[in-house]
Amino acid sequence: MQLDTVKMLAKIKNTQWALADIDWDAPGAELVTGDPELYAKLKVFMADLMWIEHVGARAFAAMAKKAPDDTLAEIYRYFHAEEQRHANVEMALMKRWGMLEGDADNPILPEPNINLRLVIDWLDTYSDEMPLEVLGSVIPSLEIALDGALCKFLLDTVQDPVCHAAFEKINEDEARHLGIGFHVLEVMGHGKLHQLLVKAAGNLLNPKLIIGIAAYLPLLNRMRDNLVKLGLKEERLYEAMNKYKRIGGRTEQGRRNPWFQIISHQSAMVVDRKSLYHVPVDALVRLTDHYPRRWLKATPTWVKGLTWKTAA
Amino acid sequence: MTQYFDKAPTAGRRSRKSADPAAVKVVEVLIVGAGFAGLGSAIQLRRAGITDIAIVERGSEVGGTWRDNQYPGAACDIPSNLYSFSFAQNPGWSRGYSGSREILEYIKGLARDHDLLPLIRFQHNVEALDFDGGEGIWTVTLSGREPIKARSVVMAQGPLSNAGFPNMRGIESFQGKKIHSARWDHSYDFAGKRVAVIGTGASAVQIIPELVKVADKVKVFQRTPGWVLPRFDFQSPDWAKTLFAKLPVSQTAVREAMYWIHESMALGMIWNTPMTRALELLGNRFREMQVKDAWLRRQLTPDFKIGCKRVLMTNDYYPALQQPNCELISWPIASISEKGIRSVEGLEHQVDCIVFATGFEVSKNGTPFPVHGLGGRDLNAEWSGGAQAYKSVQVSGYPNLYFTFGPNSGPGHNSALVYMESQIDYIVRAIGKRATGEFKYIDVRADAQKAFNTDIQKRLAKTNWNSGCKSWYLSADGFNSTMFPGFATQFARQMADFRERDYRLV
Ligand SMILES: Cc1cc2nc3c(=O)[nH]c(=O)nc-3n(C[C@H](O)[C@H](O)[C@H](O)COP(=O)(O)OP(=O)(O)OC[C@H]3O[C@@H](n4cnc5c(N)ncnc54)[C@H](O)[C@@H]3O)c2cc1C
Ligand SMILES: [Fe+2]
Ligand SMILES: [Fe+2]
Repeated sequence: MQLDTVKMLAKIKNTQWALADIDWDAPGAELVTGDPELYAKLKVFMADLMWIEHVGARAFAAMAKKAPDDTLAEIYRYFHAEEQRHANVEMALMKRWGMLEGDADNPILPEPNINLRLVIDWLDTYSDEMPLEVLGSVIPSLEIALDGALCKFLLDTVQDPVCHAAFEKINEDEARHLGIGFHVLEVMGHGKLHQLLVKAAGNLLNPKLIIGIAAYLPLLNRMRDNLVKLGLKEERLYEAMNKYKRIGGRTEQGRRNPWFQIISHQSAMVVDRKSLYHVPVDALVRLTDHYPRRWLKATPTWVKGLTWKTAA
Repeated sequence: MTQYFDKAPTAGRRSRKSADPAAVKVVEVLIVGAGFAGLGSAIQLRRAGITDIAIVERGSEVGGTWRDNQYPGAACDIPSNLYSFSFAQNPGWSRGYSGSREILEYIKGLARDHDLLPLIRFQHNVEALDFDGGEGIWTVTLSGREPIKARSVVMAQGPLSNAGFPNMRGIESFQGKKIHSARWDHSYDFAGKRVAVIGTGASAVQIIPELVKVADKVKVFQRTPGWVLPRFDFQSPDWAKTLFAKLPVSQTAVREAMYWIHESMALGMIWNTPMTRALELLGNRFREMQVKDAWLRRQLTPDFKIGCKRVLMTNDYYPALQQPNCELISWPIASISEKGIRSVEGLEHQVDCIVFATGFEVSKNGTPFPVHGLGGRDLNAEWSGGAQAYKSVQVSGYPNLYFTFGPNSGPGHNSALVYMESQIDYIVRAIGKRATGEFKYIDVRADAQKAFNTDIQKRLAKTNWNSGCKSWYLSADGFNSTMFPGFATQFARQMADFRERDYRLV
């Protein structure tokens, strides 16, 4: 499938929306706040979801620098902002449900877990140097997990109509992110196979990428554990990963992209509880619990742009 | 685009039967525009003995760019000693880079000292030019006035004189104040106001530091960050002013030195050379010194080669952005709403006033008004694929018509006036030929024009401008019809050489 990126960009520009388009005071909040068990679970889930969107936003910012043409660069610039918008919406939902600490004017951002912090650190330091192949292949896998598993789970669990209204808009954005994501995944499979392989192998040996992988893998495992604790069915994740494999691998080019192959295999292992993959990765999760916070860089300022407000 | 001209007074219209002498008579030279180029042309034509001149100007004052661009902080970014005519040096410049008002005073001084005001017809807006090959006469159609007939026409209407609010989604719904940088509203008080500035180009970087001083809050909306280099501005010491006044050669020497400094910049700005890297390193170093936060620095880092777009020369811009009441927003703009600007990250930035520092309508693919040459040929149509001329000043098939700032005369690194002076000298020579009365008209040969353009496009292909960045230098399909690919010295040499064999004299 060859997608017309120029048309896609025009469509993106034509379908923008803002937080102010949602009626945040509409009735229905009590459907969450009135259910203490749901409330407690959701508070953790929403914070994680918000951070994932935000981290995704930063990845798009890095991809914009690496895009092969102006149109794609501009699309990534928009996606960067749209992911930020999703994070802002999720924060606004948390605000609506009284899940944010601090006072109304200065709510405190929910604390990211240590694995998120490590990924944020890595993105801040190295993501701009990563070749498009790496981020361009990882992002669709994350997006499909978000779209196919996390968001569905949220909408199945929460009855608040405002949440549904917000996610209707988010899902429309995400459909376009996935469209572009798989398009790029395929484009990156063009060229001679051995050259693609040599290049991928070279990238894999890049110590900056190795650090990134070491930060990213435990995050995935921790997220999976959190989700399962909340009641997400593991099959959902499994289905989502299969979808990545199916759509990403539907053309010869897509299958030839070595990064697609790597990520397909890795995500299959993530969702397979019995895989030996989990021995070292779960060990890493436990290790990171003891990661000295003072080794972390100061929170980068891009994180401070998050807001639940509709106007400023 | 909002057309901008002061309306013709109705009294003038009514009295048009009462024989306006110019309406019947044919003037030797008609000049469109009373900016630097129009006035400079008139001065030099007169010096060459051609005195039958009329200047039509749509505004009510001389000055062009510098009459229109009176926003706070407006100044030239080429040193004043170089951004002035060599034949009318001004020993009194108050600073290295003078402000807009001082430059306007200088231009008014030119008009006064050279007694040009009697030639100028203000509030005359040119709507069309039509050539009659049989008679060898141009008819200049004016808005709401009798047309004027002329032998030769100089189009000095300015490359950057048409400003308008950009076509942004929802712009008409905004309830607050809208100001364009080139049409500043001095009656608007910014004190205590929340202001958005759209654009981060040459005008914006001058406006923002001034607004930050007075407004309550300034939000700067950036699409693409540009290269910023330090500017070495200074107040002119009194001794220098006295010296320049008493000993003009000393000012000429300073001017020469500045000329060569700027010429050497061409090495880095026009072509991709080690100098390009050196200038970029300087730009990077300057940013690191002035901007503390890593993310802000990233937002401000350009992703194109230096010289690809106009380099911003300013020491105050980065510090202004970091003031507590200023914020840089690099999210794309989704739309303008009643109360402000909605950016794609979902927020509505509510403001009292939006300043549009969004630049100008540049006619790269066409003429600002219809121009018909021999046999009714239409210049707008001929230029639809990108403007082309002969040595920037003339176009084959449009005899006796001259351009200042025509195709491929734009400087990227040196004073526009240096380029303008050599164009004016050329135009004076050509018009002088016609004014002898031996010929009806002089027209460039099509093959000479073609050969010139083949050569210039070949040279342009090797420049930074054509290296893959979008800018107003390029048309939508990437054709460069604005810039001259070389040193100002080369341009001057090109213009000093008048080849009669390239012309048809009829
Ligand atoms: C903010 C700004 C800063 C600049 N700084 C520099 C600098 O530092 N260094 C540099 O080299 N260049 C600079 N420039 C470029 C500048 O445009 C030129 O240097 C120079 O001023 C152009 O002079 P001009 O006479 O060709 O055009 P203008 O000054 O624009 O004059 C054209 C005149 O023609 C009139 N006109 C236009 N259309 C019509 C019509 N249809 N009928 C009748 N009259 C008409 C206009 O009203 C205007 O008075 C700057 C430009 C801007 C906008
Ligand atoms: Fe998202
Ligand atoms: Fe997304």
